[in-house]
Amino acid sequence: MGAYVARRFLLLPLVAFGVTVLIFALLQLVSPEQRAALFVTDVKQLAQLSNVIRKYGLDQPVYVQYGMWLQELAHGDLGWSQTARMPTSEAIAAFFPATLELTIYIFVPVVLIGVWLGTQAAVHKDRFVDHFSRLFAISLRGMPSFVWGLILLMVFYGWLNWFPPGRLSLEADLFTKSPQFHSYTHLLTVDALLNGQGWIFVDAIKHIAGPALTLVLVEMALLVRITRSSMLEVLRQDYVRTGRAKGLAEPVVINRHARRNALIPIITLSSLLFVGLLGGVVLAETIFNFPGIGKWGAEAAVQLDIPGVTGFAIFVAGLTVLGNLAADVLYAAIDPRIRLG
Amino acid sequence: MNLQRRLAVVLILVLGVTLATFTGVVQGQAVKNPDTFVYQSAGDVETLDPAWEYDTTSSATILWNIYETLIFFRGGRTDLYDPMLASEVPNLQNGGVSADGKTFTFKIRQGVKFHDGTPMTADDVKYSLLRIMLTDRDAGPSWLLLAPILGFDVQSTRDDKGNLIPDIFDRANRAIQVQGNTVVITLTKPYAGFLSILATWSPVVSQKFVAANGGWDGQKATMPKYNNLPKPDQMTLFDKANGTGPFKLERWDRGTKTVTLIRNDDYWRTPAKLRRIVLQNVEEFGPRRLALQNGDADMISLGGLVNLPAVQGLPGVRVVDDLPQLGNSPALFMTYNIDPEGNTDIGSAKLDGNGIPPNFFSDIHVRRAFAYLVDRQAFIDQAYRGKGRVANGPIPFGMLGYAPRGKWFEVSKDKAIAEFKEAWGGQVWDKGFKFTLSFNTGNVARQTLTQMVKEAVEGLNPKFKIDTRGITWSTYLQQQAKRRLPMFALGWAADYPDPDNFTTPFMHSTGTFSGPQGYKNPEVDRLIEAAGKEPDPKKREEAYLKLQELAYQDVPTIYLRYSVGTLVLRSWVKGWYNNPMFAEGYEYAYRFSKGQ
Repeated sequence: MGAYVARRFLLLPLVAFGVTVLIFALLQLVSPEQRAALFVTDVKQLAQLSNVIRKYGLDQPVYVQYGMWLQELAHGDLGWSQTARMPTSEAIAAFFPATLELTIYIFVPVVLIGVWLGTQAAVHKDRFVDHFSRLFAISLRGMPSFVWGLILLMVFYGWLNWFPPGRLSLEADLFTKSPQFHSYTHLLTVDALLNGQGWIFVDAIKHIAGPALTLVLVEMALLVRITRSSMLEVLRQDYVRTGRAKGLAEPVVINRHARRNALIPIITLSSLLFVGLLGGVVLAETIFNFPGIGKWGAEAAVQLDIPGVTGFAIFVAGLTVLGNLAADVLYAAIDPRIRLG
Repeated sequence: MNLQRRLAVVLILVLGVTLATFTGVVQGQAVKNPDTFVYQSAGDVETLDPAWEYDTTSSATILWNIYETLIFFRGGRTDLYDPMLASEVPNLQNGGVSADGKTFTFKIRQGVKFHDGTPMTADDVKYSLLRIMLTDRDAGPSWLLLAPILGFDVQSTRDDKGNLIPDIFDRANRAIQVQGNTVVITLTKPYAGFLSILATWSPVVSQKFVAANGGWDGQKATMPKYNNLPKPDQMTLFDKANGTGPFKLERWDRGTKTVTLIRNDDYWRTPAKLRRIVLQNVEEFGPRRLALQNGDADMISLGGLVNLPAVQGLPGVRVVDDLPQLGNSPALFMTYNIDPEGNTDIGSAKLDGNGIPPNFFSDIHVRRAFAYLVDRQAFIDQAYRGKGRVANGPIPFGMLGYAPRGKWFEVSKDKAIAEFKEAWGGQVWDKGFKFTLSFNTGNVARQTLTQMVKEAVEGLNPKFKIDTRGITWSTYLQQQAKRRLPMFALGWAADYPDPDNFTTPFMHSTGTFSGPQGYKNPEVDRLIEAAGKEPDPKKREEAYLKLQELAYQDVPTIYLRYSVGTLVLRSWVKGWYNNPMFAEGYEYAYRFSKGQ
């Protein structure tokens, strides 16, 4: 297993190289002038268009531009992200903790409730809870997340004023930037507790609640459906019948014997979900003005912020490799028949 | 009680609570954060460095909150000034302006301190002006001082190949002299709009502070190192500030795109009433509107008139519209010599009914015909909810040279037909034409315009055909710069409140618009250059009226609308007023306070 993990890690630079070459190649499809539009945003700067192209080497052949980028990389620099207003590596470091925190608050309830509800639906097939979960899944999954986001924002911020957008309120933000507050993890809820500041914790939770709720509702639906079908499959197996026949308690049959075997597709889906969330919960972050990495990545892509997009893509590619690796390791842990090697 | 029933009860309870809270929230809000002003904008600050910034959000943030200029606009006027860091506004009477209009003498105010407590001196003023001129990044604001001081042929510190002009430091250094407590600026040629430039483009920074933080020390030898830097954060004042203004920079949090300013208690005038200014970037209009409704934001950017109805009638919210602005936006330009190379926009590139020749618009009858077809008021009504003034020339309403009764083409199908029949010796009418009219996707106003032009033109003759097409903003700019768009719609807002800042880009043969458009009239060029130098406002006005007359006669461009502003703020914000040069609304937060 160790060798397997190491091999996967060795893949990372290769993946990063592939991704960056792909991005630079794709960028050649848009003209230098279009790429210069990142720096020339106002009509007043139009006369300077050709100077900007020359300054940033935007009309150079692709290998020269890639070479320039590699040179910066050699200096430990992923380039200047014009959309983030900071170097790309700093941007990743600045935006990622917010998304990671949000992802955790989405992922945990999605998996816990989703698997529970899916199991219940399978066990009580064609009963109320099954119908309810199906209706729930179809209606939530059927509506785009930005519609949900806007509705939740309207209700929970516009009407109730419970879950405001942003990451912290004004006072809390000022306090966390003051010397009295130490950042240990950059996850605000965790740091708040480590600093013994309950009110910051509450404030941060209130800000996470909006985007988290939006995505929990949408993402859970899929997991409920997958868990249900996977469980139904397993519940028909002989060993489940055997378990019941030999007089095992129903919870033991369901939780220990059936569900464990139904977990493989759930793990696959969960790992994809986790990586997907980390890589960009763009719409929820944008609607709730949550300063995460997805919002930045999308903005960088739209504005052709080349260093920004490239850095973001490398980062997400890395996450995906790691996510898949985690799923593989989990398979082996859950199913002894699977051997990594 | 079974599960269904229990669920129903819970649902009803939740609904009840929701409605009860909703009705309770709206009425009688107390002032939130009474000593903090929160502005939410769709844009974000690009840099805090006055020598780099050339966008409205950055500019509004630092000017006149952190940094101050030598002179400042008097109230809502753009043609009268009050002294700010100069102790009086130079003019002919007080000897501050020489009789030949070339020399400007500024007495520098004494006793003004930078935020770090060091005194502001005449040397700082000179340094600040030189710094803006000589750091000169591509597509930056440096030309705004270079051109009037060193002559309008000097738009940059570099030649066409991008090499630094060898004597540029010496020339700038000679033009600006410190004599005791005064700064004397000598222009190569007189320029009547110079004071109006300085009212915006003379923010004073601390030379010591910049040098101590690794920036340019003001010396000739080190200057090239700081010229045209590639990355904004290489400029010292990118994220640091040490000005003289009523607010100090507390923090620029780029992670949340928030700038926080805090009151300068050692300000040279009475300190500001507000303790803190918070400028947040919230891209979506929905959250901005809710923040305004909940009192979390005191002022928001509207982000397009399409959002106007969503803020009208909100309790506790004030919507101020029809605010005078100095903008000509948009105007519809016709390209005299379209680049035909692989250009599908002009079809066959011939006058055969399936395209237009590259010089289609060089025929004045074609241009006049189009001008007769565009209903400017209908366009303003449809695209801007009626907000804006009908335009009839390059110089906007409220500026010297604006022609209130300037001639323009009335809407007339018959006259358009008559012009088309004369165009290209009658061939246009007989054979017809076809071309593509583009707009940048997402710009509903320009999309409306292209649609209106298409309908008006195609309604005249079944052989006339215009395709409309949405392209991205970057493609639009690229195509325009390369003379590939047969017609294009773009707008202009004043860099400084002088008619020259409009006649040059719109009409001079080297102008931002007229250049690529291919419009060249020697008489126009001569008038623009003469009017720029003329110190007598009466004579200037005559020249500008003549220029507007020529804009009508030559009609290279169809003027449509002079822009107006709309501001949305909580009614508890006091002390706000408009100046046509303010783009965002919080430029002069010094006067602001909050109270019922």
